[in-house]
Amino acid sequence: MSHRNLLSASALGLSLLLAGTAQGAGIKLLNASYDPTRELYQDINGAFAKSWKAKTGQDLTIQQSHGGSGKQARSVIDGLEADVVTLALAYDIDAVANSGLIAKNWQTRLPNNSTPYTSTIVFLVRKGNPKKIRDWDDLTRPGVSVITPNPKTSGGARWNYLAAWGYALRKFNNDPAKAKDFVGRIYKNVPILDTGARGSTVTFVERGIGDVLIAWENEAVFAVKGEMGAKGDFQIVAPSISVLAEPPVAVVDKVAAKHKTVQVATAYLQFLYTPEGQEIAARHYYRPRNEAVAAKYAAQFPKVQLFTVDQVFGGWTKAQQAHFADGGVFDQIYGAGR
Amino acid sequence: MKNVSIWLCCALLALPAAVRAQDTQAQPPAEAAEAQEPAQDAAETPQSVDQKLEELDQKIRVLDRKIEIDKEAAAEKAKTAGQAVAGKDGFSLRSADGNFTFRLRGYAQFDGRYWVDDEQRPQTETFLLRRVRPIFEGTVYKIFDFRIMPDFGQGQTVLFDAYLEARFNPAFRVRAGKFKPPVGLERLQSATDILFVERALPTNLVPNRDLGVQISGDLAGGAVNYAVGVFNGVADLGNGDADVNNDKDLAARVFFQPFVAGNGPLKNLGFGVGTSQGDQTGTLTATGLPGYRTPGQQTFFSYRSDATAAGTTIADGTRFRLAPQGYFYRGPFGLLAEYTINRQDVRRDQISERLEHKSWQAAGSWVIAGGEPSFRGVTTKKVWDPAAHTYGAFELAARYSELKLDDATFPFFANPASAARSAKSMAVGLNWYFNRNLRLLFDYETTRFEGGAATGDREDEKIFFSRFQIAF
Repeated sequence: MSHRNLLSASALGLSLLLAGTAQGAGIKLLNASYDPTRELYQDINGAFAKSWKAKTGQDLTIQQSHGGSGKQARSVIDGLEADVVTLALAYDIDAVANSGLIAKNWQTRLPNNSTPYTSTIVFLVRKGNPKKIRDWDDLTRPGVSVITPNPKTSGGARWNYLAAWGYALRKFNNDPAKAKDFVGRIYKNVPILDTGARGSTVTFVERGIGDVLIAWENEAVFAVKGEMGAKGDFQIVAPSISVLAEPPVAVVDKVAAKHKTVQVATAYLQFLYTPEGQEIAARHYYRPRNEAVAAKYAAQFPKVQLFTVDQVFGGWTKAQQAHFADGGVFDQIYGAGR
Repeated sequence: MKNVSIWLCCALLALPAAVRAQDTQAQPPAEAAEAQEPAQDAAETPQSVDQKLEELDQKIRVLDRKIEIDKEAAAEKAKTAGQAVAGKDGFSLRSADGNFTFRLRGYAQFDGRYWVDDEQRPQTETFLLRRVRPIFEGTVYKIFDFRIMPDFGQGQTVLFDAYLEARFNPAFRVRAGKFKPPVGLERLQSATDILFVERALPTNLVPNRDLGVQISGDLAGGAVNYAVGVFNGVADLGNGDADVNNDKDLAARVFFQPFVAGNGPLKNLGFGVGTSQGDQTGTLTATGLPGYRTPGQQTFFSYRSDATAAGTTIADGTRFRLAPQGYFYRGPFGLLAEYTINRQDVRRDQISERLEHKSWQAAGSWVIAGGEPSFRGVTTKKVWDPAAHTYGAFELAARYSELKLDDATFPFFANPASAARSAKSMAVGLNWYFNRNLRLLFDYETTRFEGGAATGDREDEKIFFSRFQIAF
């Protein structure tokens, strides 16, 4: 066989190779999200896939991965090829951005600092509120068992912690020592730290441990509606003050570019801001950004005085370094309380 | 009397209280206070027990949950942690998702060769390490397999396999590197699984290892296997690392196992044909032509070569191989057969000729105890364990093979005084499989030649083989 024939054979081989690689091509997205968003994104994914099909004619499969927000960020950094991240807090997406997978300006690419919905932190107590939990002070009482996840691994847990800290600062006129003591007394009442918010809900609801669960508002409603146990076994108590939780979203640029899914991934996140996406969020007890949808669902959200992390802590980076970094305030109070 | 009884009962009931009152009065105030506590405790007992039970219940639930969380964490860690495994298939490392693996395998064959009646051509009876081959295999990014296999046997270091294969799907795999071209059946059988210590005569007419690119796959659920590739084009029996000319060989094989999916009597029936074709032009220093070997690995045929154009036969034109082949295994019995035609255009000085050499073999086996044969070796039903009175598997084997060289080869292209016109071999063997990893082979093989000596025929080759093989 001459080299001309060899070239022909090579070209044939290459064609077959390309044909082989082309087999099974389809649009797939992986959304790496935090713990309690499973049900929300099941509905979002179905609605968006339908919308995308209608718009482009393409079939779309969206896969979900859930876990503690910090843990999910770590997984993406370590190689989980998620096209988008929908995490519990901006700090975790910043961590992914710092690894180079997401552009540093990610928060400016979508409205509302890339936070399509908000939530807050409330208390879930057992039916009849036997321990008479009404506000954050009640969580410091001896004999009250408090369930909350580990702020080292869970974004929701960090919101819980900061909500308590914000309340304490206001109560003690911004005295950090007293706030530390206050939050320390709450964590002294925590018998177990799960790695994620859903794990804590399981601990409280399914395993029957504790008197009060500090929870995402939507997660608390999830439990009250009987999704994880008998309906009517629990009730929600809204504290006087809580934090405005802003779970952000972002396209993982490098992964989406590699998968050639930038367009669909961006459209997926933009869908969250549409009236349809906002309706779905509200139905899952996330507070919508869209004013019309927010007004429609206003009755289902208790009126709570909310503060932001920027207002009280100067942003997530500062809050993270002061409270959740190794040797930070959380380590001091939780280690001391054990 | 009735009144007396009533008063007596009242007195008995009042007695403990009176005694307690007296004790209290006799005690100092502090002790009295302590003494009053049991009475208070007694009053609080129902609530206290409930509380304690509740506390204990919570503690147990917390402990249970902590164990549960620890188990979840361990399971999660196991998902992301790699695995190191040691077993009968070798040693391996595997990433948690299975997309990356590395396996260390290998085999070694320790042979003995004992010659009989070798007066005219005295041979040295010897032990030798016929093959010592570590195998480094693995997978990267889920579909890309690699294999590197050097051989350190017989005091030499030779690279046998080094290739990368992409498994796009079962029907479409692409392999590039150095490996066995898809032609001869027994050549394609692993050296750890061949029935006798040495392969039969037809293997002389097909390539050993070559560099190239091959597409292969299984179709119809494995009923059809195909392979087609472009190779440098080594000579028969050749193991090349680079080409000596610009021409390439095209090799292909199709093999059918029509009943492989079922469990019927023909499940292990396989047949097919391998072929290769290419233009090859040799030189005085690299003639492109082979020598052929006896089972005892002695050269019984070679072309003329004296480093001059007038006295050296070289490849000059088309080389074509065709190798119909098949096997059948049923119960303890096995049969393997192949027929190989090799057409080679040769030239010596200004005279060219197309030579056609032919060879065939038929080999039968019978596992008399403890196992079941297949193309991939004997599976031992009970491994060697004297304490349990199990001794592995025993197999008897017999084989006949022939190689007939084209009459036109002699005397111009090969010297009939040193190159035999044909060889006919008969072999019998006993194989003992201790387990999947160890086996002993004992063979006796005799080969008769036509020509190949200054006068008459070359002396018969009679040889006993032994082999101890470890493979993992």
